[in-house]
Amino acid sequence: MTATRKIIHIDMDAFFAAVEQRDFPEYRNKPIIVGGMPDSRGVVATCSYEARRYGIHSAMSSARAYRLCPQAIFVKPRFQAYQEVSLIIRKIFAEYTELIEPLSMDEAYLDVTGATDYQGSASLIAKAIKADIKKKTQLIASAGVSYNKFLAKIASDLDKPDGFYLITPEQGANFVERLPVCKFHGIGKVTASKMQALGIHTGSDLKKLSMETLQEYFGASGLHYYTICRGVDNRPVNSHRAIKSIGVETTFQQDITIRQDILQQLQGLLENALKKASAKQLNARTLTVKIKYHDFVQITRSRTLPCNLVGATNTLDILENLLINTDIGERAVRLLGITLSTFENQAVSYRFQQMDLFQDGNNSGVSFDLDFLKDN
Amino acid sequence: MKFIINKDTLLTPLQQIVSVIEKRQTMPILSNVLMVVEENQLILTGTDLEIQLLARIGIDNVVPGSVTVPARKFLDLCRLLPNGAEIKIEQQDDKIKILSSRSRFLLSCLPAENYPEFSESGFDNSFSINAGQFKKALDKTIFCMANQDVRYYLNGLLLNISNSKIKLVASDGHRLSIYEDQLEVPTGVEARIIIPRKGVLELSRLLDDAEVELKVEFSGNNIRITIKNLIFSAKLVDSKYPDFGKVFQQEFFSPLHIPKSLLKDALTRVAVLSNEKFRGVTLDFIPDSLRISTHNPEHDEAEEEIAIDFTGEPLSISFNAQYLLDAVSNIDADLAVLTIASNISSCFVDEPDNLLYKFIVMPMKL
Repeated sequence: MTATRKIIHIDMDAFFAAVEQRDFPEYRNKPIIVGGMPDSRGVVATCSYEARRYGIHSAMSSARAYRLCPQAIFVKPRFQAYQEVSLIIRKIFAEYTELIEPLSMDEAYLDVTGATDYQGSASLIAKAIKADIKKKTQLIASAGVSYNKFLAKIASDLDKPDGFYLITPEQGANFVERLPVCKFHGIGKVTASKMQALGIHTGSDLKKLSMETLQEYFGASGLHYYTICRGVDNRPVNSHRAIKSIGVETTFQQDITIRQDILQQLQGLLENALKKASAKQLNARTLTVKIKYHDFVQITRSRTLPCNLVGATNTLDILENLLINTDIGERAVRLLGITLSTFENQAVSYRFQQMDLFQDGNNSGVSFDLDFLKDN
Repeated sequence: MKFIINKDTLLTPLQQIVSVIEKRQTMPILSNVLMVVEENQLILTGTDLEIQLLARIGIDNVVPGSVTVPARKFLDLCRLLPNGAEIKIEQQDDKIKILSSRSRFLLSCLPAENYPEFSESGFDNSFSINAGQFKKALDKTIFCMANQDVRYYLNGLLLNISNSKIKLVASDGHRLSIYEDQLEVPTGVEARIIIPRKGVLELSRLLDDAEVELKVEFSGNNIRITIKNLIFSAKLVDSKYPDFGKVFQQEFFSPLHIPKSLLKDALTRVAVLSNEKFRGVTLDFIPDSLRISTHNPEHDEAEEEIAIDFTGEPLSISFNAQYLLDAVSNIDADLAVLTIASNISSCFVDEPDNLLYKFIVMPMKL
């Protein structure tokens, strides 16, 4: 990377909650919690800044949020509405650059190195995008501007809500040195506490360690830590990010234990996931089942099939096979999830169609046995 | 348990048995080899519960007993001892002591009582076949077996015995091979059984001595093949093999004769520039010539031309290069004969005047 890049990270403030407050004036200036109902087992998806004052944050159980703030208004998410906003903001981004890497409905990286608006000033472009978003959606976004994705993301978070923050190449290295490791994007709770135990608290602590040491402690991520703590992150803004997985999951109102019920739930989830994959013209070969037991212990079981899952006839057998060596049927389950991965484009696999001897006649649409799926 | 054995006597059967044992096991004892010492013989057994291999080795001056020994460690130690070394093996409580010259090893064992029994029902059918003949039949077919196909009955080899006729069939749906031969002695048996893939591959490795007469016994669920001092057992695939008869009941173009080595070399070179994943190559038959070509997403292109005797209407068909190469490479004659169905739905590959084997390669739509 020779020329200095200009990267913007845009992140909508309290996105779901803000859309609710926009569409329902009676919610404004009130603690709004979008997500599960307090009497359910759901979690907080997003909450308004008013609710955050009570210590509520996303991913917290709705029941806990209710205890912290009984007067909060709980609303169910309206994904359709959020999707509409998401499309509008992506259109706005596209007016400034083609290099857009959406991270979720309300968050994206933009590479504006080659942009011509505002004499190419990334700061002015970021401010213009914020203004456009406000004008077209009546919603507030925060922007972070820097010379790589890592710093842009951190910058967007520094001045929230309605934030704007610039980290220049001159400031970058210094900035990261002072940054606590728990603020690093990509360093979660577990890694952060592991680092604490090793006496690594800030970027400058990280910087003292050699690449070898970091790799020894943190494996493949070690190399990434080595570069980012020096303010270096060469990952490009990837506008053609391939979909790596498609997942659906559900938390039950009440724990379920009966094997048959669990299989039925999994089949429903798998059907939904396959529909999503088909809508994107993808064939999936890997199926992962996620199980969270009543005590929050979580396990996953995964298999990669030699053939595509889309169109497979007896998915039930595949699922049953994945439940071997689990406590299904004995231990109560609170959450089930299905994830599809190892994708192949349906159009490409159709173009090179290998003909099959048994494709028509009695053995087509084969109802297959999955002995080979068993462990060993 | 106590006995002395020469490394050279022990190593080959031990290697054959360890090959059956899966590296990763759910039951620890399955990583072990069962060692039973009787009056005048040592019996070694390995299994993965789907197949089992048992070897009898004659020894004398023994103290009888039985134990299970970690297979890979035991094999590695024996393998690394000098050739011709005398190995003294002696059980000591839950360990075995292995002594040879100045080497001394102590290996932790598991009790023989816990070794799983390979359940075999009564064998109601049996016949014998020469190992060389059977090995050739396997060589011509097993490369077409499916691997981890959801159509699990394809992950194996069809053995069809009809009195004095033996037929082996393997297919992964994309290609199929058939081997048909006469048995020297009529069997009076009519049966179609599917031997699982892993069993077939292991079995094929045990048939290096062409002179041996094999005794094959089977029931609806199991097969057992006795190869001199070895007994190979496998559970059969519990299914019917799919019907492939329809592929023969088609109209065909006249057979095309192509020099085998020219075809093989041209295919190998063209395949280099084929799509890495799908490996598609196109064969164009035009008067007096066969043109083989391909291109890939990187826009590389390849074309080869072979002079052949062809006079009909031009004809074009595409294949996965690897499938066609596998078939052509298994031809013994100098000429490969390609017989293409008139609706371009399949292609037979065999050789002139050959009645024993035949390959079918399914084309690709490009």
